[in-house]
Amino acid sequence: MTARRRGTWLLGLVALAAGVSMMVAAYGVAATRSHAAPQHAQKFGTLRAVIDTIDFLDPQQAYTGQSWWAMWNVYETLLTYKHVDGPAGYQLVPGLAQSLPKISSNGRVYKFTLRNGLKYSNGKPVLASDFKWAVKRGFLATGQGVGFYTDIAGAKAYAAHPTKGGNISGIITNNKKRTITIKLATARGDFLTILALIFAAPVPANTSTAILNGTIPGTGPYRFSSFDANRGFTMVRNKYFKPTKYIPRGNPDKIDVALVGDANAATQRVINGQADYSNAAIPPDRIASVKSKGQLVLRQTANTYYFWMNIREAPFNKLKVRQAVNYGLDRAAMQKIVWGGLGQATQNVLPPTYPSYQRLKTYSHNVTKAKQLITQAGAKGAKVTVWTRDVSDARDAAQYYTSVLNTIGLDASLNILPRATYYSTVGNVATHAQTGWARWLEDYPHPLDWFDVLLNGNRITNTDNNNYAWYSNKKTNAEIEGLKKSQVLTPAVNARWAKVEKEIMAQAPWAPWSNRVFPEYFSKKMGCIHVQRLYGIDALRLCRK
Amino acid sequence: MLAFVIRRLIGMVAVLFAVSLLVFIVFIEIPGGDPAERMAGKNPTPDNIQNIREKWGFDKPFYVQYVRMMEKAGNGLLPGPHSEYDILRSFDTRQNVVAEIKKGIPATFSLCIGAGIIWLVFGILVGVISAVKAGRWSDRAITVLALIGISMPVFWLGIVLRYFFAETRTWFPDGGYVPLSQDPAQWMYHLILPWFCLAILFIGFYGRVLRSNMLDTMNEDYVRTARAKGLQPGRVLGRHVLRNSLIPIVSLFGLDFAAVLGGGAILTETVFDLKGVGWYAAQSVGGLDLPPIMGVTLYGAFFIVVFSAAVDFAYAYLDPRIRPT
Amino acid sequence: MAEPATDLTLDSASLLAAEEHEIAIVGRSPWYLAWRRLRRNWVALVSLGVFVAIVVACALAPVYAKHLAHTGPNTVHAGETVIVSGKPKQVVGGGSHYDPKTNTFIVAAPVYLGPTWWHAHGRFVLGTDNLGRDVAVRLLYGGRNSLKVGIGSALICTLVAVLLALLAGYNGGWVDWLVSRFFDLIWAFPVFLLAIALSTALAINGFHHFGISIEPGSLWIPTLVISYVLIPYIGRPLRGQILSLREKEFVESAIGAGAGPLRVMFSDLLPNIASTVLVFFTLIIATNILTEAGLSFLGAGVRLPDPSWGNMIASGQDQIQTAPWLALIPGIAIVLTVLSLNLFGDGLRDALDPRAKVRIER
Repeated sequence: MTARRRGTWLLGLVALAAGVSMMVAAYGVAATRSHAAPQHAQKFGTLRAVIDTIDFLDPQQAYTGQSWWAMWNVYETLLTYKHVDGPAGYQLVPGLAQSLPKISSNGRVYKFTLRNGLKYSNGKPVLASDFKWAVKRGFLATGQGVGFYTDIAGAKAYAAHPTKGGNISGIITNNKKRTITIKLATARGDFLTILALIFAAPVPANTSTAILNGTIPGTGPYRFSSFDANRGFTMVRNKYFKPTKYIPRGNPDKIDVALVGDANAATQRVINGQADYSNAAIPPDRIASVKSKGQLVLRQTANTYYFWMNIREAPFNKLKVRQAVNYGLDRAAMQKIVWGGLGQATQNVLPPTYPSYQRLKTYSHNVTKAKQLITQAGAKGAKVTVWTRDVSDARDAAQYYTSVLNTIGLDASLNILPRATYYSTVGNVATHAQTGWARWLEDYPHPLDWFDVLLNGNRITNTDNNNYAWYSNKKTNAEIEGLKKSQVLTPAVNARWAKVEKEIMAQAPWAPWSNRVFPEYFSKKMGCIHVQRLYGIDALRLCRK
Repeated sequence: MLAFVIRRLIGMVAVLFAVSLLVFIVFIEIPGGDPAERMAGKNPTPDNIQNIREKWGFDKPFYVQYVRMMEKAGNGLLPGPHSEYDILRSFDTRQNVVAEIKKGIPATFSLCIGAGIIWLVFGILVGVISAVKAGRWSDRAITVLALIGISMPVFWLGIVLRYFFAETRTWFPDGGYVPLSQDPAQWMYHLILPWFCLAILFIGFYGRVLRSNMLDTMNEDYVRTARAKGLQPGRVLGRHVLRNSLIPIVSLFGLDFAAVLGGGAILTETVFDLKGVGWYAAQSVGGLDLPPIMGVTLYGAFFIVVFSAAVDFAYAYLDPRIRPT
Repeated sequence: MAEPATDLTLDSASLLAAEEHEIAIVGRSPWYLAWRRLRRNWVALVSLGVFVAIVVACALAPVYAKHLAHTGPNTVHAGETVIVSGKPKQVVGGGSHYDPKTNTFIVAAPVYLGPTWWHAHGRFVLGTDNLGRDVAVRLLYGGRNSLKVGIGSALICTLVAVLLALLAGYNGGWVDWLVSRFFDLIWAFPVFLLAIALSTALAINGFHHFGISIEPGSLWIPTLVISYVLIPYIGRPLRGQILSLREKEFVESAIGAGAGPLRVMFSDLLPNIASTVLVFFTLIIATNILTEAGLSFLGAGVRLPDPSWGNMIASGQDQIQTAPWLALIPGIAIVLTVLSLNLFGDGLRDALDPRAKVRIER
């Protein structure tokens, strides 16, 4: 996930064992053996949550982890994830669909059947055609997720001139039989996880294409009952919701979410007893002192913070320079100064949550070696501009980075850009940005979300490029394309991903430095604290002690 | 007088127009500020970006966009439901800018009116006392205190106050705003530190200006005459000296008050986490969000321009020696 | 001789004359008299001394950095250890860390090296900031930047304001109307928005047109913005003063004698406002330093990683619990500088005002 949003969490560690959901899906096995659905353990009145920010509460628009945290329980999708802790939380299970889909042998046709008797929170029945309307609505409303669905046959043509009456030929629905058939123009190994994104949540036919926050009816255990952009929103029980094996009724009757941007104020609310839960990024300054006044849970998510080096621009067009940078960074010290130690040093592209993860230890902290490499490359004194975003942790990390570049022999200066324009500026080829800060937060648990988006030379664009290193290598490009067709993350596939990662990092287009850990803070009265790997704190299962 | 009023009105409108146009041009020319690319999100498709451009009118020349934006600003002031593209909407949150400014008004007004009363009253007090006791140690002490007050950066003072009185000792709440309608006692409790912080820099300044004016006035011939006539010092002070010395204070207060009301208390609002108009302005500028920036600029300029004209008018009325222009 | 005045009041011509033991009365220029008065005001002189000392110290920042602290203002020493009074201390210690045995993080606050007060041979005299940089070095370099912007913008602002006020005051009529509306326009302009907008606009490539070249992050940006927005601050009162001076007989007679506008403006009007301008100039430096601090606090003034007292406070407020000196020390520096300027400006005004002699009578 791009760092354009401060959306922090979403997705936790993966580390699935062999029998991952993709494998199951590929062989068309129907719904797996069921775990016992979480019991409707302890009902209680109101969960008072404090969240730092959301972007939208409109399923076809929202693109931050915080928004998805709330909307996961309001807008169900065809496939969803289990409400369990640990790696099993990454397993795809049927949501609105009766079962996992039938997939054709060439991996391009997916067939779903909706469950019977599904109703929205306004009592209207859910139709198969509503799924098609949701996808169309994304294009009509210029939502941010449309890029995921352009591989559906006919979607590209529709996207060029979207109209209400227009058709996407690749989605065929039958309301009487409740079937949805999706045909892809090209096979995608991650298509099922894309269908589980909230962008694909069905909405009633002809829902307006204007941005509607908190008024669109959904199919989940809760519905939005009020929304005020900068102040907060509330969720109450959806009386038309019927619990399933995988989606339980929630414990709280009502969820009151206040939007408080200031981390200290948010934390203080929990300490004062005005709130039960806060997701604020508690500053390292305070975290030790608040720990005893509440319950602190540290959540590892799938994220990587890194510095990219544009291999098209001098001096980073030389491998030795890029290696020197990697040797020059003191990753252990960086964890301490940027987040007070709440992060793990890394030299990998993928975070440790992936089954394909193999820890790379190529570069030790060696400033002398770094200086030598710079001199050998003839880059001593080369002028470098470091780019970063105007957010406190990005500024700190980039100031450290600039200092390191100066220490190893380059002549570096820093350029801080506003939050809102950072990515589109450094992603624009005309900027000729040499190096800078970036982070990626997972959209969905699949290596394609990383390598294809960030390091595939074939997907480089001149504007809004996500491959800030402009890295392109015939061999690794081809390997990534080849891996796109693999539906399932078998050990063999994972080994191939690990190989790709090693080859890419041997070229050092990045200097990755951290996998960040996020604090979640609860009042002492809260119990049943569960972390769902993808969506974070499971609001449904929280209870009072 | 009528000609003066009309000339001023024309001047006001001209200034509002000029300010908004300048701000618009500055922001539209910022490189990397292409709103369509930002709004399209992480995985943009060229089609999506183009659709956004057409819907929001970014493909039109800048003067067309300016006129359209002013139209939208005007529409936002009219009551009634508004459609997606008829009013000023933030590029990032798509929220109604006018509505957002209205939401910030209670906090800003509470802060500024309260602080304004405090600094006017105490500023006058300080000025009068130090003028009356000119030369004594109390004048000296007050002067030094006042000077310290105006030598402190307001945001630093806010941080220090918060640290010593709201964090290490919880005598005061640690920032935030409680609406008056919700709880008047809490409303005031939360505003005490911000009021003090904002007022202290003006108190010192006004005190010294008033002292200086009063001392000048006290040495005028007509005051001497009044005293020679046998009028009591108090009456001389109140009726003659103070009335004339207050004129420049009126002018200063009008402009300063308008400035903070119009979102100028940006630093105090940021430090004390009061989500007023100044805070909203700081957020949107940091995010290069043009519609809120335009909205806040017009809002602020409006206050300045109105108060400036009012002050000039009052000045001309109070002091006939000054010709209105 | 009975001296009823305290240090903050003023001398009188009669006292000076008495001082001279009834020798032949020598005519003194008002400037000399003012200097004599100023000399007696020890508060003002001490303040001037403090301000000059601060300016000198900041000007010598590179010397301090190189020879005494052995580091630069932007150099990070995060992972290093420093010997303080013989004991090794980490520059940035403490902090949370991952415990592989329990597979959790042990949460602890970071421990920043506090002021060493010379026990570490000149390194980290005022401690470290959150990135492991020497605060004392940054304080001095920050002072350089803040003073450059403050004094530079005061010069430009005063110059332009005086010219505009002369034009408006002398000509009156529509010129005055235009200049007054121009003042209104500037005053109505949201100063912080303009500053942030400009520094952002120029952040990517800078400004390279019309033969002028401004790099992104150059100090010219806050300097020009601050000078621009404070023009009415000086311009308006000066205009008022010139308008009233214009009506005085000596100006009328100069015009009657055939003096051209330039001559009247610069030979007749300007000298009479000179003392006001001087006082304003002193005070506007103080105001500009505060404004620059505010801009840097919001990120629109001096750009990181270069220090400025304002942006040091902004970065320091996140560490207020574990390292309070980071936010407090730069603020104290600002207060000292601005206060000394204000006290001196006050004394200067008292010394220059010829009517002030009458104020002794109580």
